[in-house]
Amino acid sequence: MTRVVTDYQKENRNAIIKAIVLRVLCYIFLCFVAVMCIFFFYLLLVNTTRANNDLQGGRFTLMFSRFFNQNFKNLFTKFKTDFDALKGFRASFVIAFSSAVLTCYFSALTAYGIYAYDFKGKRLMEAFILAIMMIPPQLSSVGFFQIASRYGLKNNWWILILPSIAAPSVFFYMIQYLRATLPKDLIESSRIDGSNEFMTFNRIVLPIMKPAIAVQMIFSFVGSWNNLYMPSLLLSDSKKKTLPVMINALQRTSWGNIDLGCVYMAIFLSILPVVIVYLFLSKFIIKGVTAGSVKG
Amino acid sequence: MNKFLKKFLAVSFVFVLTFVLIGCGDQSKGSDDELNDGGSIFHIYAWNTEFQGFFNKYVSDEKTNDPSIETYHLDGIPVKWTIVTSDNGAYQNALDMALRENATANEENKVDMFLAEADYILKYVNTSLTKDIEKIGVDDFSQAYQYTVDIGTDRTGVIKAASFQCCPAGMVYRRSIALEVLGVSEPEDVQPLVDSWEKFEDVAEMMKAKGYYMTGSYADTYRVFSNNADKPWVDENKVVQIPTPVQTWMEQAERFVELGYTKTEGIWDSGKTIEFAEGGKVFCTFGPAWYYNFCMGPAMGEGEDHVGGTYGDWGLVAGPQAYFWGGTWLLCPSAGSNDSLVAKTMNAFLNNEEILERLVKEESQFSNNKKVNAKVADDYDAEGKGNGLLNGQNDTKVWVSMADNIVVRYSTIYDQHCNEGLQTAFVKFLKNDAEINTKEKALADFYAELLKAFPNLVVPN
Amino acid sequence: MKGNKNKKNPSYAKWGYIFVASFFIVYFLFTFVPQVLTIYDSFFDYTDVVGTLETEVSFAGFKNYKMLFSRNLRGDIEILRCLGNTIIIWLIGVIPQMSFGLLIALIFTSSRLRLKGTGFFKTVFYMPNLIMAAAFASLILALFGTIGPFHTLFVEKGWIAQTFDFISNKTWARILIALMNFLMWFGNTTILLMAGIQGIDESVFESAKIDGASSIHVVWDITLPLLKPIAVYVFITSMIGGLQMFDVAEVLTGKAKNNSTRTIVMLINDYLKVGNYGHAGAVSVVLFIITGILSLIIFKTINRKGESMS
Repeated sequence: MTRVVTDYQKENRNAIIKAIVLRVLCYIFLCFVAVMCIFFFYLLLVNTTRANNDLQGGRFTLMFSRFFNQNFKNLFTKFKTDFDALKGFRASFVIAFSSAVLTCYFSALTAYGIYAYDFKGKRLMEAFILAIMMIPPQLSSVGFFQIASRYGLKNNWWILILPSIAAPSVFFYMIQYLRATLPKDLIESSRIDGSNEFMTFNRIVLPIMKPAIAVQMIFSFVGSWNNLYMPSLLLSDSKKKTLPVMINALQRTSWGNIDLGCVYMAIFLSILPVVIVYLFLSKFIIKGVTAGSVKG
Repeated sequence: MNKFLKKFLAVSFVFVLTFVLIGCGDQSKGSDDELNDGGSIFHIYAWNTEFQGFFNKYVSDEKTNDPSIETYHLDGIPVKWTIVTSDNGAYQNALDMALRENATANEENKVDMFLAEADYILKYVNTSLTKDIEKIGVDDFSQAYQYTVDIGTDRTGVIKAASFQCCPAGMVYRRSIALEVLGVSEPEDVQPLVDSWEKFEDVAEMMKAKGYYMTGSYADTYRVFSNNADKPWVDENKVVQIPTPVQTWMEQAERFVELGYTKTEGIWDSGKTIEFAEGGKVFCTFGPAWYYNFCMGPAMGEGEDHVGGTYGDWGLVAGPQAYFWGGTWLLCPSAGSNDSLVAKTMNAFLNNEEILERLVKEESQFSNNKKVNAKVADDYDAEGKGNGLLNGQNDTKVWVSMADNIVVRYSTIYDQHCNEGLQTAFVKFLKNDAEINTKEKALADFYAELLKAFPNLVVPN
Repeated sequence: MKGNKNKKNPSYAKWGYIFVASFFIVYFLFTFVPQVLTIYDSFFDYTDVVGTLETEVSFAGFKNYKMLFSRNLRGDIEILRCLGNTIIIWLIGVIPQMSFGLLIALIFTSSRLRLKGTGFFKTVFYMPNLIMAAAFASLILALFGTIGPFHTLFVEKGWIAQTFDFISNKTWARILIALMNFLMWFGNTTILLMAGIQGIDESVFESAKIDGASSIHVVWDITLPLLKPIAVYVFITSMIGGLQMFDVAEVLTGKAKNNSTRTIVMLINDYLKVGNYGHAGAVSVVLFIITGILSLIIFKTINRKGESMS
């Protein structure tokens, strides 16, 4: 009798030790990866405290310097024409947020349309959307720019926002997500309950897709926030420019004007709001995800 | 479904055709002889805000550069700037599109004046889409440096562009190293020792013997050679030919790397610029005023006391050959709408002595007016003013003495690609690239890249 | 509710059209027409107007495509070489990206491990995605440039010569680009896979636990298969993104024209920079075809089994 108990205790102890060792190993691994990520932000922060003359030498250093305040001040005074922080932030935020909302909603809508209904051409349409996902943006960028210029759509935020309604890769994610999580009889039963199609989509399907939507909102927001190419071609009015366009202007300004400390400061300031928004949304995602996974 | 597909394709085809037809529309050149005026907006294209600052401060009605002013005016007409940065050719592509459609563009989009750099200005000079500026009232080039006028002149002798700055470039060297190795440190004494390429190389040997590098980059001397080309990069039969000075550079670069006279860095690499700091081992570099005033950060050191730098330890001489680096030209489209304002701006920056004197004195620029520059140089001498980095030397005086010697001939539209391309390819050879390990392969690499941009060129065997 | 199924379904079918309409309208206006324009361009000869302000282009048929596939003076077929570069760099980056992503996603969602602070880690792992390519490249340059700590260390140890340059070396440049891509995207991958795992019904895991399945068994036989649709998505989008690799490679190695790190989109950009829309369009079309073929193959083989949950 005693032997059985001892064996059981040993097994239990081993299991506990194994669990602890495993957890410690995981933490070590995660910390190692985290350091790799944070390291570059640390470098970025260090560079926001260095002076232009120092940064021109391209020296690598881990030590903070003393010019944070000066760089901050200079950015907001000397470079007012090239970098208007408030206006740039507003431009970036409006465009990124609107694009994210439109992308997520319409991609979910389209994915649901293909997933839930049987209609002629459905397979072809899905294949088509997947096909166009593979087309590099360069294929359409020149033509897009020509059309935008010709129809006086330059310096207009809508031209950057509206195209996000058709986002093939987000559609692909949504439809794969639906395939993995949405039982078709749920749709049937909601019809039986008297809900019309739009209500079914908005009230029942969307909540189930919360994790997917939350995730794609973030990615879409960030992708749009960091987008440089098309905005730099289309937004030449300083009142309409987004942050990346302004930062690029700071880097390419005349030799007499260039201040690398201010450039890093601008980069740092444009990343900060996104990190804060992300931290905030993270908690919301976790809530949304756990709520979604508890099924009655 | 087939029917649907056919209809769909038909509709898209019509769409596309409409665009193409609109695009290939009539290219009216606009009036070449008369002044196009009366535009309600003075629209200027540039790739950064440097000129905008000078324009606001010296030419605009407001006569100040204050960020809180939303719109500036010239003769009451509001000024609009379209700034597109020049990475990936974005500035030129936007400008080209605007110019091609300028005749039919509306008030908002019509370009009235634009800026261009020497590296690519030929494209804009040799087209009917830009105007003869003598016809709009810009005809006094008596004080302008000849090379700036030549660069802005098309094949038939018509002047299309006016430059507002002159960027003569020379050799800046470390006085303390000169003293140690050559026994002299003042510019008047150093210049005779480096006024030819043979002498330059002799000095390099002496530097090496004492543990110094002559230059920080193998490309430091490139532009000096390429500016003094003896023939165009591409002849009338579209055959690519490497100008003799460039060949000399290739030989010199190879020798310098082999013998250890230079560091194997690029012009902008930190491996070179870090040597400008205290204790640096590089003797000299080449560049115009904007280079040593703004791009030699490590030499400036930190703060008022220039800690860690080499402030005051530099001197400027003309070096082995006169050359220039940089500069900005103003051009007027044929189908613009504010030619008089363009003329006013151009004339201000060419001949308005009061404005130009302020430009030189307050903005550290070297103007495109010999008289003004000479006056400022004399003023500085009288006041004992000079450049701090250069130990108080009156660098304006140096430029005044050598800027007239800058000669630019044989420009082609392929110059920017050829100059950059040859350096990039040859550098691979100098850096012992695993693949590009002979001179022939470097040239093949250069030609391959050049033909990507201009497939119709012919390459020598 | 019993009714004639044939009568019911067509009336719902029309909803399908309504739901997908917005996508196709917007796509047509803003993407399709521009793309057709670009493809149209690829059949014209722009080589005479490059470098000038002329606009007269002549019809060239397949001449641009033929030129793309002929040997250049270096002895390569540029487009194939760029394709090779792209795929190699992508592979070097995607393997750690997917494995780290999956591993971390499993660790974070494991009810057994129940780690704390996953929110903090998730944020940190995602942060590199927020740095702009240009900034990231200059930081890498500070680290691996000729006066950077790695260079100095390696020279001291005698592993490399003083004149060695990481950024222009074929292997190291590819590794650095892959490293940057990995850091920028593995957080993204983790989050996507996590969302996928969390979408799997709890009851599946509970019944497996009751059956006494070991955790490895659970992962291998339950989590991974159910994760397949999302994993397929992640893999394919990673491949498409990989084939379109541009920012990082261009900003780190574009100026030096490193032939071993030029990606296909960099090649397109080379042509766009000079206004050679004919060749740019042709390369874009070729890229599209290649991406399409590759994706179709992968998609068909992996997704052969049924799709929806019933």
